[in-house]
Amino acid sequence: MRAALAPLAVQADRVSLTSQTRIIAAALAILFMLLILELIRRDRLQERYSVIWFGAGLAMLAGAAFPGLLRFIADLMGVRDTNVALFSIVLLLLLGLALNFSVIMSRQAAQITRLAQERAIERAKEQAAREALEGRLNGKGEGEDADTPERGRST
Amino acid sequence: MRTLVFIPAWNEEASIDGVIADVRAHIPDADILVIDDGSADSTTERARAAGVLVATMPFNQGLGAALQTGYLWGLREGYDCCAHLDADGQHPAAEVARLLAEVRADRADLVIGSRYAKQAEPLPGVEMEGEDYKATWTRTIGINVFRFFLTLATRQRFTDTTSGMRAANRRVMRLFSENYSPDFAEIESLQLAVREGLRVEEVPVRMLERTGGTSFLTPLRSAFFIFKGLVVILVGQFKPRHAEAER
Repeated sequence: MRAALAPLAVQADRVSLTSQTRIIAAALAILFMLLILELIRRDRLQERYSVIWFGAGLAMLAGAAFPGLLRFIADLMGVRDTNVALFSIVLLLLLGLALNFSVIMSRQAAQITRLAQERAIERAKEQAAREALEGRLNGKGEGEDADTPERGRST
Repeated sequence: MRTLVFIPAWNEEASIDGVIADVRAHIPDADILVIDDGSADSTTERARAAGVLVATMPFNQGLGAALQTGYLWGLREGYDCCAHLDADGQHPAAEVARLLAEVRADRADLVIGSRYAKQAEPLPGVEMEGEDYKATWTRTIGINVFRFFLTLATRQRFTDTTSGMRAANRRVMRLFSENYSPDFAEIESLQLAVREGLRVEEVPVRMLERTGGTSFLTPLRSAFFIFKGLVVILVGQFKPRHAEAER
């Protein structure tokens, strides 16, 4: 049984992308990069975040142009099935990308928080300045602080 | 000693007046700052009408961010010590005054008001109206889990890890204005302060049952809350130390 299957396995090993799939893959890769370009052009995507996506597009193109490349990488990984190699590489890359975004998001969240805090502090200072001014206009003494406990104690 | 009392408030228009009046009555020498964490109601207006400064966040950023705003204000405005309490009326200002006394006497850098620490004797002269604070069962589980792990992590005994009633000096302001986790502020800040070599002390206090509103904790949320807290404590053990507190 095993001996009978062996030639089949060898044959499966040699199976490569048909020219049809290669053309489709190449077209998709080019379309993808055009999309990225368009997004940058319309200011929907910043250049610094586009590098990685151009890299991905070029990799897709390379895979379509040189199917031997995929086979080579699969051999390096010690994987017999090129599909498994392809999927694991893509999966790992996407995982890394998602992590990268979480890092960027955390940094921006911290920046937004600090910005909100600075704004809140500014507002309190504006209030203090306004009340000090109003206090003077209403004929109160110069030395009177904006937040003396006695003032406005109506509650 | 210049003292700041700051009150983080989020949609607390019903209770903010009372809390401000309470602070004025019991800590008359302190400046008061209300930090309105993006309330949709008239918290800012009510507090301003009561005659205190209000730092209004442009949008809700969570309790940790609001508290950090207070520490930042205290640091920049040159206050010697500060304290904060909740705006919902659960924290009597008379108790906050006792925390501040510890900091002013330089017996500790950071003082936590604990609901659960054993009280040696009834507090003299502290008469308060309202129900004493009682914890729900989900909260009790969370409290004990955090208590255990934080004690393990800091090698210091803490009974009330999530207390929002604290007093601090400038060393703490310096540390917290730069490093204060927005996610799990109460627990992580304790761990951080101990790691940085600050003197953290618990003082038993009375807290009251909330007058309005309900707790946001459902059993499922509590479980998630506890899980998140454990991750935070674990990760906190591996964070690099800072030098701010040393100076």
